[in-house]
Amino acid sequence: MDINGKLYRKFLERNAAYEQQNGKDAAKKQHSKGKLTARERIELLFDAGTFDEIDAFTRTAPAESNFGKVVTAYGDGVIIGHGKIKGRTAFIYSQDFNVMGGSLGSVHASKIAKIQDMALKMGAPIIGIIDSGGARIQEGVASLAGYAGIFRRNVFSSGVIPQISVIMGPAAGGAVYSPSITDFVFMTNKTSHMFVTGPNVVKEVLNEDVSFDELGGAEVHMKKSGVANFVYEDEENTLRGVIKLLSYLPSNNMENPPAIEACDTNIEPAPQMLEIVPDDPNKPYDIKEVIRLLVDKDTFFEYAENYAQNIVVGFGRLKGRTIGIIANQPKVLAGTLDINSSTKAARFIRFCDSFNIPILTLEDVPGFLPGIDQEHNGIIRHGAKLLYAYADATVPKVTVILRKSYGGAYCVMNSKNLGGDFNFAWPTAEIAVMGPEGAVSILYRKELIESEDPAKLKKELAKRYREEIANPYVADEKGFIDEVIDPAVTRRKIIYAFEALENKHVTSPSRKHGNIPL
Amino acid sequence: MKNIQHKETEFIALTPKNTRYKIKNLFTDSLKINHKKLDIQIFDDENGFTYLLYKNKKYHAEIIEKNQNKYIVLINGVSYTFTIETPFSYQRKKYLDKQKPKNKVEVVQAPMPGKIIDVLVEPGAEVKTGEAVIILEAMKMQNEIVSPVDGKIVKVYVRQNDIVNKDDLFLEIAR
Amino acid sequence: MKIKSLMIANRGEIAIRICHTAKKMGIKTYGIKTSKEPNAYYLSFPDEIIDFSDDIEDIPEFLDVERLINAAKAHKIEAIHPGYGFLAESPYFANRCEEEKILFIGPSADIIHKMGNKTIAKQLAKKYNVPLLKGSQGNVKNPEEARKIAKSIGYPVILKAAAGGGGRGMRIVEKDDQLEKMFRLATSEAEKAFNDGSVFIEKYVRNPRHIEFQVFGDQHGNYIHLGERECSVQRKHQKLLEEAPSSALDEKLRTEMGEAAIRIAQSVKYYTAGTVEFLLDQDRNYYFMEMNTRIQVEHPVTELVTGLDLIELQILTALGEKLPIGQSDIKLTGWAIECRINAEDVQAGFSPFLGTIEKIQYPKSKNIRIDSGITDKSVVTPYFDSMVAKLIVTGEDREKAIANTFNALQKFWVKGIKTTIPFHKAVLSNEKFKKGDFNTSFIETEMESLFYQGGDDEMLGAFLATFDFLATLETEDSRTVDFEKGRNISPWVLNKRLK
Repeated sequence: MDINGKLYRKFLERNAAYEQQNGKDAAKKQHSKGKLTARERIELLFDAGTFDEIDAFTRTAPAESNFGKVVTAYGDGVIIGHGKIKGRTAFIYSQDFNVMGGSLGSVHASKIAKIQDMALKMGAPIIGIIDSGGARIQEGVASLAGYAGIFRRNVFSSGVIPQISVIMGPAAGGAVYSPSITDFVFMTNKTSHMFVTGPNVVKEVLNEDVSFDELGGAEVHMKKSGVANFVYEDEENTLRGVIKLLSYLPSNNMENPPAIEACDTNIEPAPQMLEIVPDDPNKPYDIKEVIRLLVDKDTFFEYAENYAQNIVVGFGRLKGRTIGIIANQPKVLAGTLDINSSTKAARFIRFCDSFNIPILTLEDVPGFLPGIDQEHNGIIRHGAKLLYAYADATVPKVTVILRKSYGGAYCVMNSKNLGGDFNFAWPTAEIAVMGPEGAVSILYRKELIESEDPAKLKKELAKRYREEIANPYVADEKGFIDEVIDPAVTRRKIIYAFEALENKHVTSPSRKHGNIPL
Repeated sequence: MKNIQHKETEFIALTPKNTRYKIKNLFTDSLKINHKKLDIQIFDDENGFTYLLYKNKKYHAEIIEKNQNKYIVLINGVSYTFTIETPFSYQRKKYLDKQKPKNKVEVVQAPMPGKIIDVLVEPGAEVKTGEAVIILEAMKMQNEIVSPVDGKIVKVYVRQNDIVNKDDLFLEIAR
Repeated sequence: MKIKSLMIANRGEIAIRICHTAKKMGIKTYGIKTSKEPNAYYLSFPDEIIDFSDDIEDIPEFLDVERLINAAKAHKIEAIHPGYGFLAESPYFANRCEEEKILFIGPSADIIHKMGNKTIAKQLAKKYNVPLLKGSQGNVKNPEEARKIAKSIGYPVILKAAAGGGGRGMRIVEKDDQLEKMFRLATSEAEKAFNDGSVFIEKYVRNPRHIEFQVFGDQHGNYIHLGERECSVQRKHQKLLEEAPSSALDEKLRTEMGEAAIRIAQSVKYYTAGTVEFLLDQDRNYYFMEMNTRIQVEHPVTELVTGLDLIELQILTALGEKLPIGQSDIKLTGWAIECRINAEDVQAGFSPFLGTIEKIQYPKSKNIRIDSGITDKSVVTPYFDSMVAKLIVTGEDREKAIANTFNALQKFWVKGIKTTIPFHKAVLSNEKFKKGDFNTSFIETEMESLFYQGGDDEMLGAFLATFDFLATLETEDSRTVDFEKGRNISPWVLNKRLK
């Protein structure tokens, strides 16, 4: 080829122009706002030198009228392409705020759709980095149509390939629904925002003053709304988080999750376990300490850490293999199940089940959270989601009851008859319809009224109740518990249990889909 | 297969008071902190303690908390808080600090009805995110109520043995 | 009289301390196990354990008089040692023990009552010619009366709860116009804290030193004092560091105050171990404050300068034995300093630091004594006090004792929690403290920083944090994901998955 010829020169010119578009000035603009450029984000995410862009030179669709500014930049505000993350193929789209505020026009939308289609065909994860002003006003309905096309693809890909959204700038209006359909939402604190209607509209309609951060900042979505599952303080750490998350996930729903080679094979008893969980059922402790002792060293990766903290949910590894963990947290709200914790855990279970990730349940739950507030907001409906998710999941399911397991919450938390494959209990487990005080007041109501010293009698009866009913041995003898185990050897027990369940397969009745109580 | 090149990069350990420690060439013999070449060694002794050896002196060292890039470490029993920044994230931080509205007051409310077992802080006390401030007994369980932010206690509204309802005001914390 | 068995109605280091002496004296010991710390370290010292942990009582175990007495009777235990805190100064408990013919290691209920009531104690002190602060005769009924007394003794004055202690129900009044308000505050606080709103008034001494004398009496009319302890390093009336002797006293003043302390003991025919507390003002005038009828937390400093076992003397005198030594046998040698190492975060206003003590490493030397109720893996709970250990160090003189203590603290390492070690280092390196020029306001006014920091410490912290951050990133990066493994699926699963 004539490298001085016209064709090749054009090739070089185009490349140079594109280079300049992504050059220092663009970087400066983003950096001055504490953000990286669309390109820099991609470079940080993919293994060095593995990213290849496609459709770099697309042009913005011509506007219907001369409304707004005319832009000549390449790419229409989004970079799409593929590369390797820790050696595995992944697809990405990364919106470029420098080009028309990253707004979504028809070309922009079709680029995203293109990469979504490819990811689905190839069975590889797709990551969307969102930094966009929203629908492109000049293009009108075409851009709205673009969103709808993206949403449809999100739904079709759901449960087939992992979809990850990384919010690194504004995501307003319709743009928020794509992330909310995807499996995981990452946000960078302070520089990313998500809302359906922005502060200006809130001010106009309701006359309430609210800042971007207060309305839809990362902290709000992490703590209050539960929209964001992972939040980091800066973009570099956010992207490190994405890489870490992907290392736990299979590329698609046909694969098993990847293992890691140099894994923690230690299965020695851990006597510290006995110290963490107090015998007194009214005393709180941190379930995360238990989790950390059970999984391979430093492999617990928590999901939605600051939302519905009464349930702890996340990924971990057992001898290198990924598992999903659902655990009641006695430290928060006594570990009760409420609306938020039920939906948080339910969604996580659905993800694990879709992607062949076995589920470990650690149970210490006094019941559902009582209260008018909870009942009126539909704890019945929302609690049912958790129950449905557990029963519907066909991946290996192992439960360990550490302490309390009362009433409906016992049933919900992957009990034997809900479909638990292995159900273990510690000797400290209290399995019953309700706690001792409640049970005694009902069963011995009359005796207690007539007694001279009701407090003392109640105490004695409660003691008897613990000895005769609320213990793991009754459940064990009836087969609702497979084995009462020494807490110190829990890790070994669950590793072997999951190994035994490795090839588990359940045939479900054929149907279009179940009707989950959404 | 390095995604984010570490060794070559300069890192900045930043204190809450914005003291910067620029750290270069970690894991090598030519470690530099704030442009000065230093020899600091890190050891784990046979008793399970970690210590630093610097200028022939031993310093008992421990990491008591880490979350993402935020660290609280103890040197000889005194705690120091740092965030570990790259030159870029440091620029970002500086930018965001300028944007930050000042002196916001955060309130802590009762997450559920119950009885106050203990109030662990007094007005004026400095608290860190996640530090227990109140012990609330509810559902027969003692729950630690933790500070949602780093800050200073402005006002405490409850006392030991108070009975509280959901959303009752516990305390105010100024960031 | 001799006893064969002793119940220790306490926990932690003092339970262990009592076990050591009891063992030496050939007495069988019984410890109490509670549900709050069923695996506590102190439980490995008594000969027998009585289990209180099975069901959860409303009254805390060490305050449950009847349960303790019943347990003692059931095990035929002859005596109960209450330690400090809990029931140590409860006349009711002492009385119940007397009724049940169990020997209470401490003075009689009557003595505890008299000394526990500040008004009675002051009347006795006056009768026995011990200097007192000017103030009201007994309780003050209303602000008018308080004002009259305040005028006669001169401002500043202090209002104190008659049933009080620990700084509650205490109010300093600087000026006449504050009096009424403060009076109301003090009475309502006293009412809430002690169920008794009565207050008395006395002259307020600015920046005094807190000096206490260890005394002993037997039931045969013999009394001795073992010299003083300097307890002026206090925060909110909580002692943090104590010494014996005090740099504020010379031999003449020591003899004089010691004799005054003995007169207090004589006033109630005191027997067993007791402590007489004085305030010492800047002109070296001393005033009787109160008498504690228990063994004190800080008793080891006296043991180390006198060479005596105070618990042994306490038990002997409680049994009715004669004091084996007289005043002339007592010689104070060298200097001792005690640091109370607590699980507290000095940087966060001394708030309790709960958590698990992963590892603890004590300094070792023949001039170091450690009294501790914890060991590796012990848990600091919110249910009991936050003491980790008492470090007691001696030296030939004060200067050497201070240097030795500082060195000992350097080697005192605790992993897993924060402690007050940096605070003690700061005290010991303070110039005014070193000169012996300090008083009870020392912590508030003289300490620039409440914790000790070396010049390079923060930089080293920065190094450690960055080092770990990078090491973690490296580990994450080196974790090669074996995705082929995930793709090798057994045909059993695969064929079905493909359906």
